[in-house]
Amino acid sequence: MKIRGAGRIARSAAEALKYAALEYGGVREVSEFKKYMVEAGKLLISTRPTAVSLPNAVIFVLRNLRGVSNYEEARESVVKAADAFIKNSEEAVKRISEYGAKRIKEGSVVLTHCHSSTAVEVIARAYSEGRVVKVYNTETRPFLQGRITFTHLRKYGVPVVQIPDSAVRYIMHEVDYVVVGADTITSNGAVVNKIGTSQVALAAKEARVRVYVAAESYKFSPLTLIGELVKIEYRDPEEVVPRDWLDKHPGVRVLNPVFDVTPPDYIDAIITEYGVLPPQASILILIDKLGWTLESIKYSENIVENLEKIIE
Amino acid sequence: MELQSRLSGSELFFEVAGRLIESAAAGVEKAFVEKLIDLYNYIVHDRPSSIASLNLLRLVAQRLLNEGFTGVDKYVSSLASEYDRALWRSAEVAARRVLDGEVVMTTSNSLAVRRFLKTLRDMGRKLEVYVTESRPGREGLVLAEYAESLGYPVTLIVDSAARFFVRDVDKVVVGAEGIASNGALVAKVGTGLLSLVAKEARKRVFVIAPTMKFSYETIYGELLKLPEGGAELIVEREEEPPEGFTARVPLYEVAPPEYIDGIATEYGLIAPQAIPLLLRSIYGEYPPSYQPLQYLIQVLTERYGVKK
Repeated sequence: MKIRGAGRIARSAAEALKYAALEYGGVREVSEFKKYMVEAGKLLISTRPTAVSLPNAVIFVLRNLRGVSNYEEARESVVKAADAFIKNSEEAVKRISEYGAKRIKEGSVVLTHCHSSTAVEVIARAYSEGRVVKVYNTETRPFLQGRITFTHLRKYGVPVVQIPDSAVRYIMHEVDYVVVGADTITSNGAVVNKIGTSQVALAAKEARVRVYVAAESYKFSPLTLIGELVKIEYRDPEEVVPRDWLDKHPGVRVLNPVFDVTPPDYIDAIITEYGVLPPQASILILIDKLGWTLESIKYSENIVENLEKIIE
Repeated sequence: MELQSRLSGSELFFEVAGRLIESAAAGVEKAFVEKLIDLYNYIVHDRPSSIASLNLLRLVAQRLLNEGFTGVDKYVSSLASEYDRALWRSAEVAARRVLDGEVVMTTSNSLAVRRFLKTLRDMGRKLEVYVTESRPGREGLVLAEYAESLGYPVTLIVDSAARFFVRDVDKVVVGAEGIASNGALVAKVGTGLLSLVAKEARKRVFVIAPTMKFSYETIYGELLKLPEGGAELIVEREEEPPEGFTARVPLYEVAPPEYIDGIATEYGLIAPQAIPLLLRSIYGEYPPSYQPLQYLIQVLTERYGVKK
C-alpha cells in the first residue's frame, strides 16, 4: 500500500508496531520479545529508506524497551508508546498551527514556498484570527506545487496571490513573515526543504523578514551530528523541459535538484508541536522527545542494521 | 504599436531605431513625429525602464527640434551603429574579466551577454555556462540554446536553484534594462535575487551595459518604473489554473549597487558608484544638462499638432 505524507507514514509505523506487540505469539520472555520487536522495526524502516519520520516513529515506540525486565511490562510499553505517538502526531499539526499563528502579528502579509499542509494550517489559523491579511505564494517550478497551495489556502478563504519563483526578492519588501514547511531538519538546525527555500530565506533575511519553519517533531533527523551530509536527490530533467527540447539540445544539461538546505542562521524559529524552538536547539528534540541518546546517534547512519543498539 | 514583448533592452533599441529610420526615410516630417511619439508611448507604457530606447528617443527629439527634419535618418543610423559598437565593446570589456576554464552563471537572454559569450568564443577561451530558465517568459532556454550553438557546456536550472548552484560557478554576468544614477541595476526579474545569492557566496557580479543605458532622469530623483503582468504570463496554454487564480508577475527587478562588482561599459569597467564620474568625463559636466524626454515630447506634440 502506498502511504504519503511524513505524518501518515510515521503513524502507520507506530500502529504496525502496536499490532505486532499485541499479536506476538512467541516465548513470553523479554529478550525474545525485544528481538521480535526489533525485527519488526527493521522491516518497517526498510520499506521507505529515505523517510525520516519512519525511523523516528520506530525508535519512539521501541525506546522504552531499554529499561524493562519483564515481558508483560515490555509489551505494555510498546502499546502505550505507540498510542502516545499516534495521539501526539494527530494533534501535532493543530498545536503547530496554534503556536505558529501566535507568532504572527495582526494584519500581516505572509509568503510561503511550495506546498506544506502544516504551513498552510499555520497561515489559515492566523488568517482566522485576523493576523494574516494576504499571502504571496510561489509557483514552485518545476512541479508547480504552488498551485496546490493556492487552492488549499483559498479553501480557508485566505486571499492568495501567486508569484513566479524569480520574484521572491522583488516581493519581499511587502512581506512580514515567511512560513514554510520542512522535509527534514538536521541536528544542527539546518532545514532541508523544496528547492528554492534557501533563497527565499536569504531574501527574507536581507529584508529583515522573519522566517518560520512549521514542522512536526518526527521530521528532525540525527543527520549532520554524525557528520553525514544530506544527499540531495536530482529528478528527471523532463520535469523542467519537455523530451523533444532535450533531444534537440544534447549540449544542454538540465539539473533538477529536489531540495536545498537552508542554514539555521536564516531561520528565526522552528514551530513544532512541543513549542517554538530556535533551530540551533534541534538536538533537544532528538534526545528529549524522539528517544535518541548521545550514545546511539552514532548509529544513525545505518539505523536498520543497528536498531537494537539504538534502543538499548 | 506592436512590438515583440520578449525583446531584450538592446534588441528593443535596434527595433526602435529601425522604425525611426524607416519612417524618416519615407520623408514625411509629421508622420515621423507621430511615429516617434507612438514609440515613446509604447515604451513608457510597456518598457518604462528600457533606458537605451528612451535615451535614443530623447536624442532624436532634441535633434529634430534643434536642427530640423533634414538628415534625421542618417542621424538615427549613426546612433544605432554607435550603440552597436558600444555594445560589442562593453561585451569585450566583460569578456576580458573571465579566465580560461571559468564557469559563468547568467539569467534571461540578454543580447549583451550573448555578445559576451561570442567574444569569449572568438578569443578561444574555454567556458562553461549556467543559466536559469527565467520565468516568466523562460528566455533562459533561448540563451541556453545560443550558448550550446557556440559549443560551450551548458547547464539549465530552474530559478529556484540559483542559490543551490551559484557556489559551483566563478562569476555572474548579466545584462541591463537600465542603470540608475546611483548604480542600481534594472534587469529581468530574478536578477536581483541572483546578485544576492552571488554576493552571499562571494561570487563576483558583472553587468554589461553601454552608457546609453544610464538613466539621466534618475539623477534628478526620478524612480525607474517596473511594469508587472498577471496570471496570463505564467499559466501555460495547456494548463488549467486553479479556481480564482490570481498572480502578480513582475517583469523587472532592481539589484542594488552594493551587489554589483562592476559595470562593463564601452569606456571600460567601472564601479556602479562611479557612474557620476564617468558621465562627467563624457559630457564635461555633472550633472549633464539635458531636457526631460517628457517635455520634448510635449513640445513636439504641440509644434506638429499631433492628436493625442
